[in-house]
Amino acid sequence: MSESVQANAPVLAVDRLSIALPKGGDRPLAVENVSFEIKPNEVVCLVGESGSGKSMIAHAVLQLLPRGVDVVSGAVTVAGQDPSKLDGRGLRNLRGGNAAMIFQEPLSSLNPLKRVGKQIEEMILAHQRPTPSMAEVRERVQTLLTQVGLPNPLLLEKSYPFELSGGQRQRVMIAIAMANRPALLIADEPTTALDVTTQRQILRLIDDLRRERGMGVLLITHDFGVVADVADRVVVLRHGKVVEQGTASEVLRNPQAAYTRELIDAVPKARLADIHDTIVRPEPLLEVVGLQKTFRVKRGWLQPPREVVAAEGISLTLHEGETLAVVGESGSGKSTLGRMIMRLTEPDAGAIRFGGADLRLLRGEALRQARRRLQIVFQDPFASLDPRQKVGDAIARGPMAYGTSRAEAMAQARKLLARVGLSETAADRYPHEFSGGQRQRICIARALALKPRVLIADEAVSALDISVQAQVLALLAELRQEMRLAMIFITHDLRIAAEIADRVIVLQKGRIVEEGTTAEVFTAPRQAYTRDLLDAIPGRDFFDQPGFAAAAGARQTARIDSGIDAV
Amino acid sequence: METVRAFLRHPSGMIGLVLLLIVVVVAIIAPIMFPVSPWEMVGAPFTPPGEDGLWLGGDTLGRDVAAGVAYGARVSLLIGIASALAAMAIGVVVGAISGYFGGKVDLVLMRMTELFQTIPAFVLAILLVATFNPSLLTIILTIGAVSWPPLARLTRAEFLRLRHREFVEAAQCQGERTWRIVLGHILPNAISPILVVTSLTVATAILLESALSFMGLGDPNLMSWGFMIGAGRTVIRNAWWMSVFPGLAILVTVLAINLFGEGLSDVLNPRVSRRRS
Repeated sequence: MSESVQANAPVLAVDRLSIALPKGGDRPLAVENVSFEIKPNEVVCLVGESGSGKSMIAHAVLQLLPRGVDVVSGAVTVAGQDPSKLDGRGLRNLRGGNAAMIFQEPLSSLNPLKRVGKQIEEMILAHQRPTPSMAEVRERVQTLLTQVGLPNPLLLEKSYPFELSGGQRQRVMIAIAMANRPALLIADEPTTALDVTTQRQILRLIDDLRRERGMGVLLITHDFGVVADVADRVVVLRHGKVVEQGTASEVLRNPQAAYTRELIDAVPKARLADIHDTIVRPEPLLEVVGLQKTFRVKRGWLQPPREVVAAEGISLTLHEGETLAVVGESGSGKSTLGRMIMRLTEPDAGAIRFGGADLRLLRGEALRQARRRLQIVFQDPFASLDPRQKVGDAIARGPMAYGTSRAEAMAQARKLLARVGLSETAADRYPHEFSGGQRQRICIARALALKPRVLIADEAVSALDISVQAQVLALLAELRQEMRLAMIFITHDLRIAAEIADRVIVLQKGRIVEEGTTAEVFTAPRQAYTRDLLDAIPGRDFFDQPGFAAAAGARQTARIDSGIDAV
Repeated sequence: METVRAFLRHPSGMIGLVLLLIVVVVAIIAPIMFPVSPWEMVGAPFTPPGEDGLWLGGDTLGRDVAAGVAYGARVSLLIGIASALAAMAIGVVVGAISGYFGGKVDLVLMRMTELFQTIPAFVLAILLVATFNPSLLTIILTIGAVSWPPLARLTRAEFLRLRHREFVEAAQCQGERTWRIVLGHILPNAISPILVVTSLTVATAILLESALSFMGLGDPNLMSWGFMIGAGRTVIRNAWWMSVFPGLAILVTVLAINLFGEGLSDVLNPRVSRRRS
């Protein structure tokens, strides 16, 4: 984006800000000595991994820090005012007036019981003095809804948040934030909960509004792809300290700090060249034929149930040692596909042939036996481990359920923990003592304990920080080689699919729209839908530059070799 | 350990615990404090408190009210705890089956639960006790049989919440058997609210037992608070002590259990306990 060189006063100035965590936290200061500025019409990205303190800074700007977390030194200036010196009224005028904020999860930031039009009105009525007439307010709401690109504003105004999609909700949040023409917009991971195509639209919308109104934007993200797309300037944070800051092109092209380089390298990139050729055997390991699933949601007494097609005639084959990526937007039915193969969701019709039987026809004990060679790793490493079960037990339970003795199963669990890069002593600890990346390693170990032949990874790295993501992907790739695992890798992130998969299936509304080898799909997509998905990959322009990918690829491999223990 | 320590720091929970311990101690040492049976006439009828060595007075037949209150504590606690456990046993089994299997099983079990909920508990209890002869066992079973529906609903809700959590599905994919999943994964994660409601059920069970005894439907061989109030009720205007002291005993015990239960709830609910620490 264009470099803004106006000598205007900054809309946000953060000066040597330090924020203390309550006693007993993992470090004394959440944020230490952070300084940066945002000028009008400038997008500054605050980048860092979870726990780097980036959200703390945003919350400090609007005085939203939780109790017990206090600013200990430094100052924040928003449009010439210091929020910490404002009284209640002044602070209310600032929030949503001169400085507005949007959050990561648009569903929980909207009031579920109020029509969205009312929620925007509320914002206008709270701030405009003298209070405008209702007709004016209505008109303003309509304009805002149009500006944020929502179709049919008249109808939309009367909708409740649950009737909208994630992207539409985030647009409503942006409309609310824009209602009083703020000088500063703070966006805290605004697109993390959205899929790629929606992410691109929302980022573009923020960027357009910024240019139109000359706002300053503080965009918090963990994704360097997003940075490459929208940032003017970048502030890289680690453990609450600024590691590096500068213009976006400087930082991306010529990162000074080793940590910045690591983050940039960790952005998954299509490495189409080094895909190993699988020995395609005539007999597939897993064969899915004509899988069909429609969810029926009851709506009311008189209304017909709403039908959502999650799978319509899906067929696929998987050979030994092969990795198949299933990609698509949210709601395309990709997770349902994985769950149907595991028989966690009952398909309406079709067949799942595995190990000489149709899994769909199996019941009870026969299903239990067949499931053994088919394992799944779930998305959320926090929800998928029983909080009251020791890690070792979690891994050993599977083999024990199939008759392995406890001692043997525990010994095997310890070995597996070591194999996935954790210490053997981890077996005696509880899941809450581990970080997200470590928990996902535990989940992988648990799945592998049964020596599966097919591993389904359902968004297995989506909840992880980007550098941890790279390490877990590398681990999966190694294990695949070692155990001749066939993998179905379900993901919304095409960059990851390109990095790990041999073949790709693109799903849209429960149908396969495109299927082929990764190289085919990524370099010569046949369908418009696939092309849209590919175009929406954040930072694509930047990371696809000739020469960059090759160099980064080489660096990445070197780093992964030494980096596994570091998660 | 953490939980115990958090509870010790909970002010109203601790008050409840202390009161409850006093009641328990009285119940335990009742035979030592009052070696003579509470049914024995030890003084003149209508002895006011403090006279004749009867510091809580004597009743219409000259029986020691203090001895009655002390022995009544044994009956109330025994019946309260035993019937709450009976209610928990029924409720957890019904709720767990209903929540885990869902579908038609759930439909049938929940309609049955509603049937029990629509009949007023006390009326049903009277009916059941009157049908079977009133004895310790039948009273416990009766109170258990009318108190389980809230526990079943709670257990079902917890099971529904946990049933499709990923760690449960992971256990399923690992080939663990259904009973192991239910007992090893779901129940331990659902147990905190169940324990809290069970502890509060003890209080309502004590009230139910008192009410039954008041109506003359208690075990005729056991001295109980409700029976004492029932017996002293007609003479309350000239001999208040016969009904007031057992009444206070009920009040203190039920209050103690409620405070204890709420304290337990705060401590076992991670969000609240985190706010406190």
